[in-house]
Parts: sequence; C-alpha cells; structure tokens
Amino acid sequence: MRQYIARRLAFSVLLVFVVSSVSLLLASVAPGDFVTESLGAVVSPETAARARVRYGLDQSVGEQYGRWLIRVARFDFGRSLVYDRPVADLVPERAANTALLALAALILSTVIGLPLGIFSGSRRGIVAAIVRGASVALVSMPPLLTSLVLVFLAARTGWLPIGGMRSSTADSTSVIDVLKHMIVPVVALALPIAATFERLQSQALADTVRQPFVAATLARGVSAQRVVWRDALKAALVPVASMYGLVVGSLLSGSFVVEMVTAWPGLGRLMLDGLRARDAYLVAGCAAAGTVFLALGTLVSDAAVAFVDPRSRQ
Amino acid sequence: MAVRTEPRSFCSCIAPEATAHLITLLTQARLVRVNQTTEDIEPWIADSWTRSDDGLRYIIKLKPNVLFSDATPLTADDVVFSLAAAYDSASAIADSLKIGGKTLHATALGPLTVAIAFPSVFSPGLRVLDAMPILPKHKLEAAFASGRFAAALSVTTPVNDIVGLGPFVMTDYRPGERLVFTRNDRYFRTDERGTRLPYLDRIVVEIVPDQDAQVLKLEAGDVDMEASEIRPQDYAPLKRAADRGTLRIIDVGEAVDPDSLWINLRPAAFDRDPRRSWIQRDELRQAISAAVDRQSFADTVFLGAATPVYGPITPSNKKWYSEEVPRPAYDVTRAKRLLSEIGLVDRNHDGLVEDASGTPARFTLLTMKGQTALERGAYLISGELKKIGLTVDIATLEGNALIQKFVSGKNYDAVYFHLTTTSSDPVLNADFWSSTGDAHIWNPGQKSPSTVWERQIDELMARSASALDDTGRKTAFLEVQKIFAAHQPMVYFAAPRVFVAASTRLTNLTPGISRPQLLWAADTIAVRH
Repeated sequence: MRQYIARRLAFSVLLVFVVSSVSLLLASVAPGDFVTESLGAVVSPETAARARVRYGLDQSVGEQYGRWLIRVARFDFGRSLVYDRPVADLVPERAANTALLALAALILSTVIGLPLGIFSGSRRGIVAAIVRGASVALVSMPPLLTSLVLVFLAARTGWLPIGGMRSSTADSTSVIDVLKHMIVPVVALALPIAATFERLQSQALADTVRQPFVAATLARGVSAQRVVWRDALKAALVPVASMYGLVVGSLLSGSFVVEMVTAWPGLGRLMLDGLRARDAYLVAGCAAAGTVFLALGTLVSDAAVAFVDPRSRQ
Repeated sequence: MAVRTEPRSFCSCIAPEATAHLITLLTQARLVRVNQTTEDIEPWIADSWTRSDDGLRYIIKLKPNVLFSDATPLTADDVVFSLAAAYDSASAIADSLKIGGKTLHATALGPLTVAIAFPSVFSPGLRVLDAMPILPKHKLEAAFASGRFAAALSVTTPVNDIVGLGPFVMTDYRPGERLVFTRNDRYFRTDERGTRLPYLDRIVVEIVPDQDAQVLKLEAGDVDMEASEIRPQDYAPLKRAADRGTLRIIDVGEAVDPDSLWINLRPAAFDRDPRRSWIQRDELRQAISAAVDRQSFADTVFLGAATPVYGPITPSNKKWYSEEVPRPAYDVTRAKRLLSEIGLVDRNHDGLVEDASGTPARFTLLTMKGQTALERGAYLISGELKKIGLTVDIATLEGNALIQKFVSGKNYDAVYFHLTTTSSDPVLNADFWSSTGDAHIWNPGQKSPSTVWERQIDELMARSASALDDTGRKTAFLEVQKIFAAHQPMVYFAAPRVFVAASTRLTNLTPGISRPQLLWAADTIAVRH
C-alpha cells in the first residue's frame, strides 16, 4: 500500500510539472503577449520594445522556459505580470478560495446526490421518475447557466448576495458573511454534480439489486430495505467512488465560469485573467495548482474505491 | 460601483487601462482638466496661466494652499517632478506628452509658479497635460531616481503609501474583490457655497468580471453605477428598473469612437496575392461604404440606439464635427459600378463578382470574439456585401490575438474593430491622422506618406497643430475630414448612443461622453438622503 501511494505521489509530481510546463509554453506561444494586451492596439514600436525588455518578453520562448525551470527548482514560480506579485503568493490565496467552494460543493452534491440516487434506484413510481427527470435536466445544464439563473434569482429576490466573497460593509473576518456569499456559487457548482451522482448511484444500485446475491439475501427473509441499505449500497458505491477524482476535475473547470459570474476571487478567475493577459507564469502556476487538486482528487477517489471494494486493494 | 478588471497599477501613468484610470481620477489631480461636458480645458490645480507670444512657453500659477493627502504642501517642484516622471521608461503616457517626438520641459520659477516649454508651437497647448497626474515628489523621488518608479505605484504598494491630490484616498484593496476609497479631507476644491468637496464619504469599487452579473447587481441596487456605459442588450432590463424608480438611465449622446472597418493598406501586404489588383483600391472601400445601409446597421447591430456615421468624427464631438463632410449614400448600384471599375464583375452570372482571371472576389474580415456589437456588425457587413457580389468570410479572434495580428500587419485582409481615441482634439490624435502615426492603423509608421492624399493630410494636420487660432485649425481639419471621406481608409457605419445607468439615490451627476462617464467628476457626486 505504501509503495502504491509513493508511486501515485511520484506520478502526481510528474503530472503537475508536465501540465504547468505545457501551460507556460502554450501561453507563451499564443498570439499576442502581455505588452499587446496591456498597452493596447496603438503604441509605438519603441515603447512596446521597452516594455518587452522590462517584462523579459524580449527573450525567446525557450529562454523564458529555461529561466522558469531554474526558478522552479528553487521553488520560485516567477512573478505575475498582471498582478505584479510572486505567483507563489498569489496562487495559494486564490486556490484556498476555490478549494472552499469545491469542498462545499462536493459535500453538498454528495449529501443530495447519493440519497436521491439510492431512492430512485431502488424505487419505482412518480416521485422516483421526477427525481430522475430533474437529474437529467440538471446534468445537461452547464454551470454557467446554473450560476446565471441563481444570480438572477438572487438579484430578483434580494435574499442572497449576488456576487463577491464578502460584503463591503461587513467585517472582513465574518464567517457568516462569507457563508452567505458562498450559497450561490456552491449551489451552482453542486447541482450538476449532485445530479451526476444521483444518476450514477441510481444506475449502479438498480444494477446491483438485480444481482443473484441480492435475490439470495431476500430469499433468506432479510427485509428489502435492509438489503438495499446494507448489502446492495456497498457494492453500488464502487462506480460512484471511482468518479470522485473526475468530479474534482469538473469542479475546477466549472468553477472557472462560476467564479466569473459570481465574482468569487478563486483560482479559475485568476487563471482566466492570466490567460487573457498572456501572463505565462501565472497561467503555469494556476495550472499547477489545478493539477494538484486533480491529483489529490484522484488519490481520494482511489482511497474511497479501496475502502468500499477490498478487491481493489490487492 | 463596479468595474470588470483588476487594476494593473495604482496609476494610469503606468498602466493605461480602465481601472487604473479610475483610481487615478479618484486619487490624483492634474494641472488642468478637460471638462467632459463642454470639452473645454479648465484650471484644476493650476490657478491661471499665460502663453508667450511665440506660443512656445506657458507660465502657470498654482493654486495656493493645496495639500497632498498626507498634508505635504504642493509646490512647483512637484509639477517639475511629475513631468520628468511622465517620461520614465515605464511610463504609459510618455508618448502622448511628446510633441513631434520631443519632450516638454518644466522649470520651477517660484514655490507656486512653473514654466512649461514646448519644443514647437502646439495648438492644443496645456490640454496635452490632461492625462498627467501631479504626483508627490517627496514620496516618489527616490523610487524614480533608482529606476523603481513603476514599482512604487504598483498594486503591491501598501494603499497608505499612495498619496495624491485627488478627492479620495485609497484605504483598502482586496485583489479579486474590491477597492475602497474614502474622502480626502485635504482635497483642494470647494463648491460655490464654500463647502469642501467631495460630497461622498466613501466609494466602494467592486471587481465583478462578468458584465451580466454587473447589470444584475445594478438592477438589484447592489451597486449604484457601472464604471462605463451600458450595453444595448442591457437597456431593456435596466429600463424596467428605471420605470420602478430605482435607477436612472442617462442618454449621453453618440459615442465618439465608433467601430470601423479597414483593409490592410500596407504596400507589401498583398505583393504575392492575386487580389493585389483590387483589394487595396479606394474603389473597394467606397463600394463597401455605399453597399451598407447605415440606418439598418444601426437598427440591427445596436437595436436602434445608434446614429449612422460616415467618418471618425461623430456628432458628439461638437467642436470638430462638420455637416460639410460628404456622406456617401446607401446606393447598391453605385457600389456595383465601383467594383466594376476595379475589374470586379459578375462574369458567370452566379451573383458573385470575379476578377479578370475569373477568380471570385473574396476576403476575410477579422473581428473580436465575444464582443456582441463587433460580431453582429461584421456579419451584417458580410451580408450586405454579398448583395453586391463580394464574399466576406468572418473570422473572430480573441482580443490579444487580433491586436497582435493587425499590429504586425502580416497575413490579414481586413479588420472590423473598436479603436479608442485618446482625445476629442484631433491634434492630440495625430498618431491616427498622420502617416507616421502608430494609430494610422491601415498603414502605420510610414517613413514618408505612401499616397498623395496621406501627404495632404499630414500637411494639414501639421498646419492644424501649429495654428494658434481656432478658425485656422478648424479650416485645416475640415479639409482633412473631406480628404478622409473621399478615400475612406477606414469605413464607419454607426455610432452607438451612450447610455449610463445610475441609482436614483445619486444626485449631482454630470455625465460626460468619455469613460468613466459619471466618475470623471467624482468630487461633485452626492447621495440623496
């Protein structure tokens, strides 16, 4: 087991390195650069050249990458051109905000999705059909649309803050204020995932209850409810648990748009700012943080699978 | 209020972008200010000035008893320092403060008297200083001397260290969230009753990157205004809020910088291209101009909230707009005739024009992805040109990629884009009009004018820049506009009407046509109690 974790960790480090390197190179070779973006369409070639020297953009992509590699070896991830701050300071701040959203969305979607999946997978009737229909609708709704609808509702009703992480009037350390601001982005992120969990869990449970061991257990006189909640559920959790890693990845991509619409100061928004401005070091830093999330998610997912399915530990 | 982007610097003299501009307007002051409602230049921290007879030197008296936000008195040395700093290698305003490529020079003649020398006669005079904040020498001198001027005004500088003469001081900046400004109790201006300005105690600027979310916030009363004009598609929902009495929508007039189409006119652009016989010809642009129904363009692209325009100077630029400039009429027959004059005729009767070799006439129009008005406009132009047999392929590019494409001048046929002007005074936009200019975007930075008409425009602009009487300037610039209209290096279709929305609890608003339309005069805005 220890060897397995060590191997997974080594792979994760390699993955982070490759993804951040590729992101840096792609951001560097994309048309336009930070100078074009910041100085605009009409600027004298001399002014643009001076700015490129100042930002180190006069060097070739290879030289820039080489310089970045040397810095990374010293755990210096460069300085963001947009924010004029070290990437190593900027990314953890925003990653923590995104992690807060992602974790809350994951918990919420699990709490909603799994019980509903068990319900719809083990029952027939109108209510189960409504749950299934609602899930199909929510799965097909992109987080952009969900967040816009929720922001619209928040604006119309005035019950919730429309965007941001804290109110300008509230005490900046007020947890209640942050929690209130989290509702819209968390629900926007969680709804499609909860629906995905519901569909997966429902399908897996429906498949499991058709297995011979379930019929045998029922034949021994064990109640149907006990069979579903004790025996079938454990077996049906395997495909759901193995999805957790992927869900963390989709949470991150979903958070890009949700953070934009709800003005949540997270990693997605930071990366989008970096991409727009061709801030290659910032993009690489954000991509690295995103990959760390994904690697952690996969690790947690594997651990969850190992927990519910002892065969996978071998 | 809400802005869409993070500041890149705490001073627009370093980062020429909207949020830095807003911060500078709120925290700094200038010697003179261009009044956005009248377009006239007015004294700001300058009390008065005189111009020498030869027009090369201005003696400026500063207002007495003006204090920076940290209580340090303003002196002529601060003005001298600010002009020197404006030419720092990191400065974003250095080019705009050069006259014919040469710098201005400031000399302190006394504690509150400063002389500014121009390298040549320059008709806009002190108007050129509208973009230059007067910075505190005592705070920035050391950084400037050590080459760290930009760093001293960077967004990592503690907000308490940002000292200025503006109506507000920045008291908080939370990246990704908000900027907070509080009243500068030492601000130099008072109203006519002697009450010290500004009226507002605090301005909170929320950073909301999504414009749809900004509109919802405005509609819900979460913010009192946006930093800039509303989009045409936002008019209807905001009008409903206005009808409920929570918002006010103000029509400021036509935009001063309408979207435009241009063909790549760099001489070598189509050297090895079979289309070189027709694509850079005046007749093609004239045909494009005649083939588009501008009223229909205004109705479709801007949902009716626009005025047809025929050149870069729109009716909102009251001082320089002229009814005497020719306006090409919508005339499809004429457009077809113009195409036939350059050899583009429908030879096989398929409804499309072909060149002499029988190749269909076709070009690609680049525009910016995600900008509704630009994308809609480009597709409408393409549709209109189809009617005269021209095939126009639309390619949308992300902003940075598009700019890089046309700035490089390579591998592009035509662009439909929004170029912003820096001033309503044409002489201050000389880099657009003159063939040597970088904003002469169809063929920038020419060593010598590549066409006769560009040479004529160069000469007239030089005359306009050195004429010290308004009549002489206006006559010269009218000629410039007529030449431009005849050759149409850039084709204009419609100027959208600029609407700004603000909460009805705000009073004393004096909206201007340029961004930020309401906050350019932030010191006089008040809240209704």
